[in-house]
Amino acid sequence: MNGFVWRRAVAVARKEVYHILRDPATLGAALVLPVFMVIMFGVAIEFNVKNVALAVSDSDQSQSSRRLLDTFGSSGYFLIHHVSSPHAGITDVSAERARAALVIPPRFEQDLFAGRGAEAQVLVDGTDNSTVGPVLGYVGSIQNMASQRIGGFDPSPPYEIRTRFLFNPELNSKWFVIPGLTVVVMSILSILLTALTVAREWENGSMELLLSTPVLPLEIIVGKLAPYGILGIIAVVFVYVIARTVFGIPFVGHLWVFGFGCLLFLITYLAQGLLISVATRKQTVAMQLSMMTGYLPSQLLSGFIFPIASMPAFFQYFTMILPARWFMLIARDTFLEGSSVLELAGPFLALALICGLMVFLAARRFKRDLEP
Amino acid sequence: MNDLAVEVKGLSVRFGDFYAVNGISFTVRRGETFGFLGANGAGKTTTIRVLCGLLRPSEGLVSVGGISFDHNEQAVKAKVGYMSQKFTLYNDMTVEENLNFTASLRKMEKATYEQRRKELFDFISFDKPLNTLVRDLSGGTKQQVSLAAALLHDPEIIFLDEPTAGVTPASRSRFWQLIRQLAKRNKTVFVTTHYMDEAEQCDRIALMREGRIIALDSPEGLKTAAFSTPMLEFDPRGSLSFAEVSAFARHDVFLFFEPYGLRFHAAIKSEDAWETVRNGFEKNFTIKRIKPSLEDVFIQIVEGKAG
Ligand SMILES: Nc1ncnc2c1ncn2[C@@H]1O[C@H](COP(=O)(O)OP(=O)(O)OP(=O)(O)O)[C@@H](O)[C@H]1O
Ligand SMILES: [Mg+2]
Repeated sequence: MNGFVWRRAVAVARKEVYHILRDPATLGAALVLPVFMVIMFGVAIEFNVKNVALAVSDSDQSQSSRRLLDTFGSSGYFLIHHVSSPHAGITDVSAERARAALVIPPRFEQDLFAGRGAEAQVLVDGTDNSTVGPVLGYVGSIQNMASQRIGGFDPSPPYEIRTRFLFNPELNSKWFVIPGLTVVVMSILSILLTALTVAREWENGSMELLLSTPVLPLEIIVGKLAPYGILGIIAVVFVYVIARTVFGIPFVGHLWVFGFGCLLFLITYLAQGLLISVATRKQTVAMQLSMMTGYLPSQLLSGFIFPIASMPAFFQYFTMILPARWFMLIARDTFLEGSSVLELAGPFLALALICGLMVFLAARRFKRDLEP
Repeated sequence: MNDLAVEVKGLSVRFGDFYAVNGISFTVRRGETFGFLGANGAGKTTTIRVLCGLLRPSEGLVSVGGISFDHNEQAVKAKVGYMSQKFTLYNDMTVEENLNFTASLRKMEKATYEQRRKELFDFISFDKPLNTLVRDLSGGTKQQVSLAAALLHDPEIIFLDEPTAGVTPASRSRFWQLIRQLAKRNKTVFVTTHYMDEAEQCDRIALMREGRIIALDSPEGLKTAAFSTPMLEFDPRGSLSFAEVSAFARHDVFLFFEPYGLRFHAAIKSEDAWETVRNGFEKNFTIKRIKPSLEDVFIQIVEGKAG
């Protein structure tokens, strides 16, 4: 008698689809927005990969330092010129005579042989988005190559190249940014749209009418959220396809790992949208709240633009409660590194935990509000 | 079988410290057209929401269609139809889509539904294409289609919360024709309204004020109970100043003396007292004995309670 009836849930979903199809703003947001954002970010962050002018200050002048320089030079990505001091290197970067500077300290070889861990420094103009990404990428692999050359075949690099961003600590590279867009796009579609749709039903009084029929709260939830879930998935597929085809971004991970992450994240945000909607019951307030708790954190605190590692300590901890932070890790990793689910256990666990909590809160609040 | 459609005993609904409904009791017989009257905020909608299972009473017992709510709200919901005060139909959907939606929520068989829809369209004389968007309907037609949606599952009891608010007088009278036909088919209709002429058409009316029922009877019964002495209508012969009018209104002989359009309606305390002062009034007014209107009754009841 009181069981879940699919037909009623489907009826609610179908009604929601009519609303979506007949509201150009929603449909536009769902379809145009992801395409627009990917292209905007993709085009803005064009970079060129060859012949990065590199100013080198080698205060060590040892065999080891020359080997390190050699590795940079022979990689084909860097045009090396020597400068007299670390300071001159920075001057070159700020005067745009160089796009990065490599600073090798005086006791590089000594530290290396003493096993103290030698450090060289790469200074990059962080305002120049087109340099940061590739330089970072090269530094990583050159470090590996160079440590093999210098230290024989020891797989763990005996020295470290520290990268520091001059002028602008934010990191932008298209490879880095576009996978992260899945997070931002979903934060707009799932939280904002669900928050609005349920609030609208309260605001115009139709929720009362729904509830005067035998429809169950759970059927309303499922029916109302399903279309937005599908919309979110379509948007992510859009982002994925454009990223792969238009911008040639690699996807080295497993699609199902990415998909699983998407699903968890989507459910979390749908639940959050529902919670906001039920708690506020007003479209304007729901809109503001979902911007504040969904879109803005996804944009600013998820590591999408500002690296979490360079945030103040408080925010580094605070971001842990944001599903966007964890999904950002999963999205970037599956695109660029391709770790297995086990290696991503941390982010997945955190995301699943937040997801479960959010669904629990939303369902409880919704049930309490709807049952007379 | 119980011949009471609605039974309410000591019902109270509290929002925080505020009693929106305060200890009301009444019954509605099957087939009765029962009117609920009262000023804004009197508690009419709150009462209906309880009866439709949308709100749980703070105190009191409620049974609708012979089923008490504590036992089975779902069964009650299957027996009642509700037309809410605030919302009628989804504007961005067609008439057909709206009705399909209601039918699915009620789990109606396709054949039954289509048959029923046809009957209801005949009933409300709806002759527009089914794929007309609701937003393109006139206010009156929209109310009628909304009534059809509430009647789709052939409920025994129909709750109509201010169904005629904001539609033209012609649509109002058309809507009441429909209500009378429902009554003929032995449906119980529970309707709230602000209009006296509508209340006049109910079998019985309850008057609500600040969460309580302060009068409950048939229109005729209310009139006889409120006025044991006759009602008089005063038609001014010439223009009267405000001071003159208020002097008349304060005269001891009246229970009340109230403007009624350009005229005045008054109830007198006793015939004897009236005969002694009558000549004085006839200088200024043409005076006529009338049957009291419901409005007179309510003024009398409300003034009586307030005073
Ligand atoms: N959910 C609620 N929370 C707090 N107060 C409420 C709530 N619902 C109704 N009220 C209050 O209860 C009182 C009765 O409201 P109700 O809607 O029942 O009046 P009504 O007789 O239907 O009035 P109207 O003619 O304006 O429709 C009002 O003062 C209203 O503000
Ligand atoms: Mg009301």
